[in-house]
This record gives sequence, C-alpha cells and structure tokens, in this order.
Amino acid sequence: MIATNRMKPLKTGIRLFVTYILLIALALFMMGPFLWLLSVSLMPGKNVFTNPPAILPTFIDFDNYVKVWQFMNFPRYIYNTVVITVLGVVTNVFLSAMTAYPLATFRFKGRNLVFTLLVATMIIPSSTAIIVHYLTIQAFHLTNSFLGVVLPSAVSVFNIFLMRQTYIGIPSDVRDSGKMDGASEFRIWWQLILPLVKPAIAVIALLDMMGFWNNFLWPIVVLDDPTKYPLAAALTYLNGQFSYNFGWIAAGTMISVLPIIIVFLFTQRYYMEGIAGAVKG
Amino acid sequence: MKNGMRSESFAAWAFMAPGLLIVAIFVFWPIIYGIPLSFTDYSVISETHFIGVDNFVKAFNDSNFIISLWNSLLYIIVVPVIQILAILMAILVNGKIPGVKIFRTAYYLPVVTSMVAVALIWSWLLSNNGVINFMLMKIGLINEQVSWLSTSSTALFVLMFITMWKGLGYYMMLYLAGLQNIPSDLYEAARVDGAGRMRVIWNITLPLLRPHIMFCTLISLMGAIRIFDEVYILTKGGPGTSTLTSSVYIFQKGIEQFNFGYASALGLIVSVIIGALSIFVFRFNAKGGVNPY
Repeated sequence: MIATNRMKPLKTGIRLFVTYILLIALALFMMGPFLWLLSVSLMPGKNVFTNPPAILPTFIDFDNYVKVWQFMNFPRYIYNTVVITVLGVVTNVFLSAMTAYPLATFRFKGRNLVFTLLVATMIIPSSTAIIVHYLTIQAFHLTNSFLGVVLPSAVSVFNIFLMRQTYIGIPSDVRDSGKMDGASEFRIWWQLILPLVKPAIAVIALLDMMGFWNNFLWPIVVLDDPTKYPLAAALTYLNGQFSYNFGWIAAGTMISVLPIIIVFLFTQRYYMEGIAGAVKG
Repeated sequence: MKNGMRSESFAAWAFMAPGLLIVAIFVFWPIIYGIPLSFTDYSVISETHFIGVDNFVKAFNDSNFIISLWNSLLYIIVVPVIQILAILMAILVNGKIPGVKIFRTAYYLPVVTSMVAVALIWSWLLSNNGVINFMLMKIGLINEQVSWLSTSSTALFVLMFITMWKGLGYYMMLYLAGLQNIPSDLYEAARVDGAGRMRVIWNITLPLLRPHIMFCTLISLMGAIRIFDEVYILTKGGPGTSTLTSSVYIFQKGIEQFNFGYASALGLIVSVIIGALSIFVFRFNAKGGVNPY
C-alpha cells in the first residue's frame, strides 16, 4: 500500500511527460508547414528546393513582403475580399435570422411544409449546383459583379437551422410581453428577440466570414476580370504567374491567411462553442 | 382569434420572404432544373435539343466518368482514418493540463486556412527536392526522390493525406464537445471498479460518443465523395485520370467545356448515388437517435 502511494506521483509524472511529448509532436505536424512557410517568406532570394532544404531561416528580412505587396496590388485584392466577405456575412446574418424566426415561434399554415423542404435539401445535395448558379447569375446579368459572387450563398439552410434552434430556446413570454405593449412583430423581433440571440449570430458571422474569405472557386467562375478577384482566387493566379519566386509566393500567401488566423485567435471561444452547438442542436 | 392567426401568418411570410426567395433560386432551383437539363444537349454555343436518355447512355460508356466515380468512392477510405485519429486527438486534448488550450488552437489552424494556401504549402513540401523527400530519405524510408503528386500510384493518396491534415482539427473539436458532455463520475466509477485506460475508452467513451461519431462520419462521407478543392488546385485530376474525381469531372464538362446538358446528367447520377448512401447511413444511424439539427 505504501509502495503504490509512493509510486503514484512518479506514474502521473511519466504520464504527463508522455502526454506533452505527444501534444508537441502533433503540434509540429499541424503547425510545422505554416512555420516553414513563414520561414521561407522571411528569406529573400533563397531557393526552397536546395539540398538539404532550407527549413529554418538563416536570416530574417521582410523584403519579400515589400516586393510582393508592390507587385501584386494587394490593397485592391484585400478590398475585394473585404467587400465580398462583409456583404456575405451581413446577408447571411439578416436573412437567416429573419427566415428562422417564424419557423421557430409562429403558428401558420405551411410551416411544416417549409421546414420539410429545407430538411430535404440537406439530404439531396445538388452536384451540379455550380452550373445552374452560373446560368442563373448570367440570366440576372450579375456576372463579373460582387453581388453575383455573394448571392448564391447569401443565406444557407444550415444557418436557418442554427437560428431556428436558438429561437426555440427563448421563452414565449418575451414575445407576449412585447405584444402586451402593442409593439409590431418586426419591432418585437428587432428590439426584444435579436439581443437574446447574439451568440448564435456571432457564430454564423464567424463561420461565414471564414467561408467567404477562403472561397476561391465560385469567384473565379463568376468574375471575368481578375482585378476583381478576392485574395484566395488571386493567390492561385500568383502561383501560376511566377512559379520560381518562392519567397514572394510565400509572403503573398502569408498576407492572405494572416487576417483570418488573427480573427480566429481572438474569437475562437465563440467559434468553438458554435461548432459544438451545431452537432447537439 | 381567427384574425390573430391570419395576421400572424402574414407576418410569418413577410419575415421569411427574402430568405426563402434566395433559397428557392439557389438551392431548390438547381435541384429541379438539373433534371430536365440532363435530357438535353444544352450548351452556350449551339441550339438546344431534347435528346432523351442519350446523356445517360453516354455517361455509362464514358470510361473517364466511370474512373471518376471509382476515384470518388475510393476517397471514402479517408473517412475512417480521419475519424479514428480525430477521436484519439480529442481524448489527448480533453485533459485539464496546463497549456492544453494552446494545443487545441494549434491543431485547428489548418481548418481556418484557405485550401489554396494549404495546397500551395503541401505542394512545395511534397515536391521532388522538397522537405518531405529529404526527411524520408534521411530516415531511410525511401531510397530516391518520389514525385508524390505526379505519380499515378501515389497522387490520390497524397490528396487524401492533405484532406486529412486539413480536416483533423474540425472533427477533433466536434468530438471534444462530445467528450466534455460525459459526466466525470462515470469515469470515477469505472476506476473504482479497476478498469484500465483502454477498457474505459472502449466501454464508456466510445459508446457515449456514438451520436458524434455518426454525425461526423456522415458529413465526412459527404465531403469525401464530393471532394473537389484539393484535387482541382493540385492535380486537376491528373496525372492521366489517376485523381479525377466525379466533382472535378463534372466541373470540367460543365463550366470549362460548356457541356451543361451532359454535366447535369452526370450530376444527377452522382446525386442519386449520394442520396442512396446518405439514406443508408441515416438508416444505420436511426437506432442511435442522432438529430444533427
């Protein structure tokens, strides 16, 4: 008995040590590629493909960032990305918050039908949606416009579900008290209900922010003019244009991923909660 | 009272109208319109004709399409690998040891990064003179440089590896949420009974994680069959047709070659397959009682 008691701290010590070794090894696996990209971006004029390959920076210089910034017209691409992302996030937040509200709290004919149709779209995905979207946007004369980029994903069924689930958790007294005071349905929603669902709105805003920021395919399809590309799309272009200037490409890539990583680092608490909430519902 | 219901009904539709309009145009319409489109030879260039089931006959004789279907189904291999590793990772970061939150964040970074950036980094790491070949040769696993992404036998598996690397953090977080819902007295009870670590994982953790495992498997399965981004950015289906997946093939036929009719027919076939698979998973899953939404 005494022996086991004396062994215990040693055993937990070893277990803790092994756990940290595993955690660090895994962190190297997941973070290593980013750190390596960072190191390539900080070594101007260095060839990535030497033998042995350059892994750690032997010197640090921001020259690649300066050069690629001047060459690529980054302010323009950042502006495009921000406009597309803001437009996409705002439409998603408003449209999903509005569409889900009656589905969760009102009694009206057709409620179940609407809900069933929405559920059905999640089970039968369209594999050719992008083709029909292209034809639709063309018919609306919206090709080559930011509105054309945002419109097909201006509201997602997933977001409507997430909001509906949140509204269901709000006691009906809130709406009743608003009615007592004679407020209109819209005012009740805007002034009483919306403040209560802020966390869910934050989750939708964050998820869609990352989605729109990182989206590359649809912008390339719908925008004819490459100067309208968002960062992720412009990056594919940069990669094709000077495939041997590794430092520049690395710096350009770092510039494009840093904003979203920073946003994530500051908001990860909401983000993680939202991700978890999506399963439980 | 009747009047109240009517005004409530009006308000309901007023609230939903803008959102439902978008959903109708960009979610319902593609599903509906894709069906008649697949019976035509619609392309931007020439006149459109109704051609019956010609597209479908052509599809089943199109060896590239069959190969692309096969590659998409083969891609499912990535699903169990991701799920097992993600569960192990979630167990690893579930402890309350100092600094564990930093590690969670680190593992999540590939998820928030764009696939364009991820693909670029890995294509460099995996190139002939890249870091991966250097390290593998150093430890003696390979004798000469391998062109991972331009060798038919390795390219598809390398893409799966990248999919896995980028997705692990996402599933880890989902499982972590599940793990944190398991009451700790269950573990204590097991420990009092003298159960070992492995037994606890097998008999307590995994059964209680079942709804999460089902949900994650379903979304990861859908993602794998419809895999597009990493393939399109890195190999465009090559070398040859070795990484041609059905989504990439449909994109090539439709958006790049303007064969909208044929691409719609291919899409319809793939949708039917995915629909059948998801019904299968739902059925399989019904006992577990999972409600993802």
